[in-house]
Amino acid sequence: MKGYLLVRLLESIVTIWGVLTIMFFSLRLTGDPALVMLPIGTPPEQVEEFRRALGFDRPVIIQYFDFFGRALRGDFGTSIRFDEPALSLVLERLPRTAELALLAMVVAILLGGFAGIIATIKQNSVVELLAMGAALFGQATPVFWLGIMLILLFAARLQWLPSGGTGGVSHLILPVFTLAVFSSASIARLLRSSLLEIQGNDYVRTAHAKGLSSRKVLFTHQLRNALIPVVTVIGIQTGHLLGGAVITETIFSWPGAGRLIVQAIQNRDFPVVQAAAAVFATTIVLINFLVDLTYSVLDPRIRISGDN
Amino acid sequence: MRRKIDVRNVIPEDLYRDALSGKISRRSLIRRGTVLGLSLPGIAGLLAACGGDDDDSEATTSSDLTGGSTATVAATATESAGSASPASSTETSGSQTGGSGPSGSVTIAQGNDLDTLDPHQTATTNTDQSVISHLYTSLIIRNPDLELVPALAETWEATSDTTWEFKLRDDIEFPNGEKLDANTVKWNVDRVLNPDTNARIRSWFNLVDECRAVDDTTVEFVTSEPYPALADQLSMFFLLAPEWAAEHNPASEAMGTGPYELVEWIKDDHLTIKAKAEYWGDPVSFETVTFRAVPEASSRVSGLLAGDFQVLTTVPPDDFPRINDSGDATAGSLASTRTAMVNINCEVAPFDDPKVRQALNYAVNKEAIAEALFSGLNVEPSQGQILTPAYFGFNPDLEPYPYDPDMARQLLEEAGVQDGTEVEFTVPIGRYLLGQEITQVIAGQLQEVGFNVTITEIPFSVFLDKLITEHSMSPLAYITYAWPTLDADGLLSLLQKGNQYSYWPNQEYSDLLDEARSTTDPDTRRDLYAQATAIMREDAGVIFLFPQPFTYATVNSIEWDVRPDDWVRAFEMRQKE
Repeated sequence: MKGYLLVRLLESIVTIWGVLTIMFFSLRLTGDPALVMLPIGTPPEQVEEFRRALGFDRPVIIQYFDFFGRALRGDFGTSIRFDEPALSLVLERLPRTAELALLAMVVAILLGGFAGIIATIKQNSVVELLAMGAALFGQATPVFWLGIMLILLFAARLQWLPSGGTGGVSHLILPVFTLAVFSSASIARLLRSSLLEIQGNDYVRTAHAKGLSSRKVLFTHQLRNALIPVVTVIGIQTGHLLGGAVITETIFSWPGAGRLIVQAIQNRDFPVVQAAAAVFATTIVLINFLVDLTYSVLDPRIRISGDN
Repeated sequence: MRRKIDVRNVIPEDLYRDALSGKISRRSLIRRGTVLGLSLPGIAGLLAACGGDDDDSEATTSSDLTGGSTATVAATATESAGSASPASSTETSGSQTGGSGPSGSVTIAQGNDLDTLDPHQTATTNTDQSVISHLYTSLIIRNPDLELVPALAETWEATSDTTWEFKLRDDIEFPNGEKLDANTVKWNVDRVLNPDTNARIRSWFNLVDECRAVDDTTVEFVTSEPYPALADQLSMFFLLAPEWAAEHNPASEAMGTGPYELVEWIKDDHLTIKAKAEYWGDPVSFETVTFRAVPEASSRVSGLLAGDFQVLTTVPPDDFPRINDSGDATAGSLASTRTAMVNINCEVAPFDDPKVRQALNYAVNKEAIAEALFSGLNVEPSQGQILTPAYFGFNPDLEPYPYDPDMARQLLEEAGVQDGTEVEFTVPIGRYLLGQEITQVIAGQLQEVGFNVTITEIPFSVFLDKLITEHSMSPLAYITYAWPTLDADGLLSLLQKGNQYSYWPNQEYSDLLDEARSTTDPDTRRDLYAQATAIMREDAGVIFLFPQPFTYATVNSIEWDVRPDDWVRAFEMRQKE
């Protein structure tokens, strides 16, 4: 187990380093912050001075080592746009994004779990058709379209919910639902298919044969085994939710880290993009790490093979 | 030398009477006024004087929308007079809100949030500078009629071609008790000029050699050469309190002499300000003002209809019917001070031949573009120049290139351009209002006269790199320009030979601009700019298109003196009686 953890940890570090390196160089291929930030007509010498003050006049490779040296000490530089430390800007916004993503994950698991199980129980009925039809629709619907349609219906037409921004629970409903739809659809479809796949296995037949109720078989025997692929997907979906937050936060004017990144990219605010990439990459790697650990809880065989 | 204009002195008596009595429409007033050679402030003053209730808001002059060098929006069209500007002596301003003090609230939704509250680190008018103008004050302010009127400075004049004198009010204090006097002004100018500040607006003061405090209430600016737009530039230069700034971060905090104080700023969400109990200038209408950042245009419209917002900027033309049919709100548009054009790289063949460039201008059907993409917004072609009527130096005698594809083909033939000549056309992604769509329509029209057009879409930052740093722009590029001082010198100089933005090396034009820069005399300058713009039309330095429309919406209970130059100010809005 120890060796397994160590290998996974090393892999994680390499992944984060890779993400940051790719991010660092691709950012620098896509234009210069000085020109975007200075007013029209600024003479070239002053553009150059501005660039120098930000350190962008140095060779890229020097900037790269400088960046990593500082990043290791937790210093991601100062936001060009806000003139505040980039990392603390990202961390300030992160709770807002986490709030959306976690709630959306909970909603997705509940909705998706319910739809997946009901579709299995009521196999070959109208209920299955409805549940899986809804899941197909949910998976095929682009987030931005769904978000705007929900705003039009619930905010503009019915006026039941606010169109965006932050405030009470009512402000959460639309963005959380919008964000949850895609993930719940994936969970529902996957759960249903893995439950059905397991249905034909010997141990399920045995459980039925020894007289357990179908409900008991489903929840204690089938579900636990069906969960392994689902947990993997939930792990991956968390990454999607963080990414989806970029779109959802923009539509619903939600002041989270996703919008910060979009703005930072538009403004060529390199330090903020880098800090956000580091935070997001670390979060996603960490979640995947936890997912791997969860397998070993769900399936002892994985734990054993890891020791070999 | 004062720039202030009394409406009655510059407008013929009969025109003034007709306008006041409502005999002529605002639109024909502008047309007649322009033909008579009236300056824009004069016309605007007359429009203001005649007030009026027509909501033909596009009637006016110009306007804009995507942000200056940076962002988006703005609006215009002074409806009825009443500017609630804090300037103490707006002669043209009419009645304000009734009642005594400020009351109620207004929420203004725009596409972007602010970047900073530091007045010296931003040139973005519609967001940063607009909010800052509620919290801080400038020496002079431009009112909704686009006239410069006193604010902190009571009077100003050019005492020679290179010196300007400003007389300040002597009763202004910052909320912390710091006195605002001539030394404060000097400290602020020095802060911007100091290279260590790395101020983003430093280039505004490139011609300023020195700012001197002559006595407590007299400030003198010395410039290295004549700088006729200095007063205009100072209307967007806001003053910090030196002692306070030493101990606070002006990027995220604020303490100024404006009519409002900062309550809170939740980045990318909202910024709220509250009217000060005591304020030295004209009273404001709204007690509380909230600026909300709502990036998605359809969310802005939905929020307006749901009652979350009262004022929007940048409304998609497609949403106009939805808003106007609601009965609760009204959408409008007007020509902004931002001009759309196609930049031509005149340094590469065959575009180094004026005939080819003229052919391009004849080949583009401006009316068809407006019809297809800005239906109902009354977008009209630029008058054969990149200036809009809002600019000093606008040439009212020029005409747009007519749409004439036969003429275009003939000119191309004369120039020896083969049918099917390849041409690359670049447009930045998501930067300009319908920029990519407009580019596609133009490409189709150029295809008609024999070019084989390839469209390249790239991020704006890459676009700027190519345009400016690398100087390697494709033969055609869609671009929009606005210049905040509304002076021809700024905008026209972008195309002057040797300027980093210019791909049109015309010596005669460059010489005229240099000559205009050597004097502050308005008549001489106007005459020189008339010649320069005529040359640009004839030599077809760009493909002239149209002023970009500025679109906005307000709930019906609010009245806004919308303006073409990007400023979005709650003190120019009021509750309808």
